[in-house]
Amino acid sequence: MDQLKAVSWFVFIISVASILYALIINPPYWIVYAISIVFIPLTILSFGLLSMAKGKKEEEEDKRREPFIGY
Amino acid sequence: MNLMANILLNVTIAFLVGSILLGFQRKVMARIQMRPGPPIIQHLLHTFKFFLKESAFPKTAAMPFYIAITAMLCVIWVAAVIVGPVTEGSLLLFFAIYAIHKIVEHNAGSSSGSPYGKLSCVRAVFSAAAEVPLFAVLIIIYLKTGTMILSSIVTYQNQHGALLLSIPLAALMFFVLILSKSPYSPFSITKGKDIVSGYETEHLRGYLMFSESISWYMLLWIFLTVFIGGLNPVGYLIGMVIITAFVAFINALTPILNPNHSVMTQVTLAFIGIVGSVILLLY
Repeated sequence: MDQLKAVSWFVFIISVASILYALIINPPYWIVYAISIVFIPLTILSFGLLSMAKGKKEEEEDKRREPFIGY
Repeated sequence: MNLMANILLNVTIAFLVGSILLGFQRKVMARIQMRPGPPIIQHLLHTFKFFLKESAFPKTAAMPFYIAITAMLCVIWVAAVIVGPVTEGSLLLFFAIYAIHKIVEHNAGSSSGSPYGKLSCVRAVFSAAAEVPLFAVLIIIYLKTGTMILSSIVTYQNQHGALLLSIPLAALMFFVLILSKSPYSPFSITKGKDIVSGYETEHLRGYLMFSESISWYMLLWIFLTVFIGGLNPVGYLIGMVIITAFVAFINALTPILNPNHSVMTQVTLAFIGIVGSVILLLY
């Protein structure tokens, strides 16, 4: 498992757990606001990084190269 | 209702309705241009599709800032949902969110390393100089109603009638602000097709589209709340559809202005709006 995937799983689990905490425990308002502002975007971001397709290893270099450097 | 559930529900509604409205806008534009156009749910489908497609991270990207800045865009619009439909808080907070949005445009453009992004980054500064004066609308609203709190503005309108009728030039200024944020707008110089996707070039597309949908919904929601007020959910939906269709007409019939013209047009509209509104308030 590469580093990006490992970090994404970690962030996803923490984010979903925080949202569930706010849903079930009903903490003070400011904690709920903090959790929603930080962890809703992180949940979606980490979900996106986990769900996106992964290309072939040998093609990766071509995709990452910025073709317009030098302009 | 549990506060977290309320926030999640409002964010989901903002995303779904915003996506459908952006799809509707493309449909109306296509029909005006005598094309069948994509289905109305196309924007929503694209958002899901891009979540499943591979994203490559360019070598020139400033990691991890490159990823963090896309998250920032989502953070500010989720915050906008909390300030707006959830708590009906202060308009000043909404102004702060909009100002951060301009910073996000600027930094997203510079973080990918793409020359298109960099051009968009410079244009974001240009357009900030033009769009921020339009926020003088807040001062006019404050002078008229004596408050910046959304719920109090709604109460004021219930007693005195819609602000759209008493300060129409302020409404026009806010409408220009909405117009400048719509896709294919004459003022959308940061995302003009001459620079591919502007500051969005190379970034996580699905994630950006998610935030954009919320952003579109929120801009319309704020407009309807501040200038008409006291609407029920159906009223909001009808209002949003009408404004989106109107925006689509303008976007379909006008070219994207060059940056100088875009800035000057918006500054001129801001000047007319501010001076005209002050005169209307005095008499």
